[in-house]
Amino acid sequence: MCTACTGSACCSCDGTGKYRRGASSGPVEIKIATWTANTDQIALLQSFVDEFAEKEGIEIQAQFESIDFGEYNTKLSLELQGSEAPDVFWVLETSAPAFIQSGLLAELDEALAEYNPDDFSAKAMELWQKDGKTYAVPFSTSPFFILYNADLFAAAGIATPEELAAEGNWNWDTFREASKAVKDATGVWGYQTVDGGGYDVRILHNLCPIIRSYGGDAWTSDGQILINTPESVAAVQLFHDMVYVDGSVVPPGDQSNFFAGAAAMTAAQVSRVSNLAEADFAWGVAPMPAGPMGDVPIIGQAGIGAYSKGDNVEIAKKLVAYMTSESCVARMAGIWPPARKSVLESPDFLASQPLLTEEQMDAAVGSSIETGRVLPSHVMYPQIEVESRIVWDRLWTPNADVQAVLDGVADVYAKYIN
Amino acid sequence: MPDNRSKLARGEAITGYLFILPQMLGFLILVLVPLVMVFVYSFESRNLLFGNMGFAGLENYKTLVEDDLFFMTLKNTIIFSLGVVPLNLVLSLALALYLGANAAGAKIVRSVIFLPVITSGVAWAIVFKYLFQGGDAGPINYLLSFVGVEGPNWLHEKGWAMFAVVISRVLKNLGMNVLIFMGAVMNLPQDVLEAGRIDGATKPVLFWKIKLPLLMPSILMVTIVTVIGSMRVFDTIKLMTDGGPEGSTMVLVYYIYHQAFKTFNIGYASSVAVVLFMIVLLLTIIQWSLRKRASYYED
Repeated sequence: MCTACTGSACCSCDGTGKYRRGASSGPVEIKIATWTANTDQIALLQSFVDEFAEKEGIEIQAQFESIDFGEYNTKLSLELQGSEAPDVFWVLETSAPAFIQSGLLAELDEALAEYNPDDFSAKAMELWQKDGKTYAVPFSTSPFFILYNADLFAAAGIATPEELAAEGNWNWDTFREASKAVKDATGVWGYQTVDGGGYDVRILHNLCPIIRSYGGDAWTSDGQILINTPESVAAVQLFHDMVYVDGSVVPPGDQSNFFAGAAAMTAAQVSRVSNLAEADFAWGVAPMPAGPMGDVPIIGQAGIGAYSKGDNVEIAKKLVAYMTSESCVARMAGIWPPARKSVLESPDFLASQPLLTEEQMDAAVGSSIETGRVLPSHVMYPQIEVESRIVWDRLWTPNADVQAVLDGVADVYAKYIN
Repeated sequence: MPDNRSKLARGEAITGYLFILPQMLGFLILVLVPLVMVFVYSFESRNLLFGNMGFAGLENYKTLVEDDLFFMTLKNTIIFSLGVVPLNLVLSLALALYLGANAAGAKIVRSVIFLPVITSGVAWAIVFKYLFQGGDAGPINYLLSFVGVEGPNWLHEKGWAMFAVVISRVLKNLGMNVLIFMGAVMNLPQDVLEAGRIDGATKPVLFWKIKLPLLMPSILMVTIVTVIGSMRVFDTIKLMTDGGPEGSTMVLVYYIYHQAFKTFNIGYASSVAVVLFMIVLLLTIIQWSLRKRASYYED
């Protein structure tokens, strides 16, 4: 057990259970790397640091570093090799296996023991553990759902996704019909892919919900490659037809944006809902459409971990444990749905996002956390992503042979996964 | 006396060295050391996440020889350079000749041409990405529709993407080369040109037989700089196409970036960087030796 220093002394733990006083007095400096630049979100995280410092009886000077999402891994990995390494940092789900294997993440189980670790959903923790040890904690386990522009649906004179879901008639076929009907009636795009990145950086976020609900997948944890199975091909063909036959999806290269009113639907997570706070159109939410195998939404996870080689590693580990405690995640739940069962099952969770009603939160977020799955992961994911992207690009032409393209993608996957 | 003279010479030498010291320190720390490190890393199995995993000998170079993506990016780099360099040289020389002759509106054209040079490369690429949007959303396609042409999805179709990137790059850097050529054009010896005119040389003859040979040292210098610049293109690719579609705009520097910072493979990225260095060095030596042969009027 570390003994906290008093006053404003600079402390760090030497691993023997005692905090070590630094050469100079002053607060402990903790650098925290994130990919959010939202001031409200940073203020919330800062309040957790302040509470933790008070609890431990030490003074902490937190420095938040907001790195652009697209460059997050690049900059973080460089910093971790230099003298500017963050003590605590967010981890992208796709990089989790590589970061864990590299040894850059400190083991957290001892620090987590104080905050009821059994409360974490075992399914949600899978990605962040190795050989029974925990290396990061998912602070966000956030399913994707459909956001829609109700004004455009009214203008087209068709039922909204929410109404179709209530009728039990919300599936990829009715989704496709709705998208085309809006485009034909209003001239506005029917659907924008997630963050507009569905053709490149978000390709699996875009296609996996369709693929999985058709019974396919990219690859499985036991190394089976399913991206070119008949089920996967049928799912990708559906999306391809929406883009090139129906012409109802914002196509590659077009920057039309749902949040600016330039598309009738998009796939999003609860953290994006705040973008609609001042929207000049009526909007609603619905679960992801179902396929022959049911509704299989994608859950996007983000973890938080402590740098294993940092000067303040013991404080950083305890801080991570505190920031993912029940008390903290309950306050983050409206932005980042947590992996803690006690919070997910509490009535407060459904009321945690002020822009969504409890019914909407339950239908689009709460129930999807149960049915959803994270994207497939692999320690070689960065290589797989870079190389498969070149093959995926062949899909985005009107006459693309979907089966041939997916066979090519499967070859790239096989090169690394097998 | 000799002692005083040698003291004076030594003092002057020390003063001279002190003047170049900041530049030399900058060169050593920021250029030479990283360059040596890249050579060293290229023989290591080094990963950005896992650190140095040991001496790899020629393993990275062996991988490079067997890497289809490397050869694809090398081909793309050559295509990009073949697009950028001649287009840039011809346009900048033509503009310099036009502007150097104090033609109508020269001052305005001169300012407009130079504006992109002082514009941020990032802002420039973002604007061109917007201009080259596909479908009706893109301003270029919108203009083309007035003449009955349906524009392509510029940045998402193979071939067109490289074309769009080349155009963006040429327009961005045109002003600097125009400025260099204008300096050369304005310093052309008027007596030689006058003699040519008196001897009955027509304008084309005057250009091909007198002006062009006299401008050759500047042309070669600009060629070297433009070739090296085109081999090092990064921001335009990163922001406009991200190397796509199908890797058709993935050039060597961007491939190095991908290997080093996307897949964390620093060792292999260093070996590609060494090959790029060798290519640029070789091209520079060739062009420099050509300078002696092609520059009739250079001492």
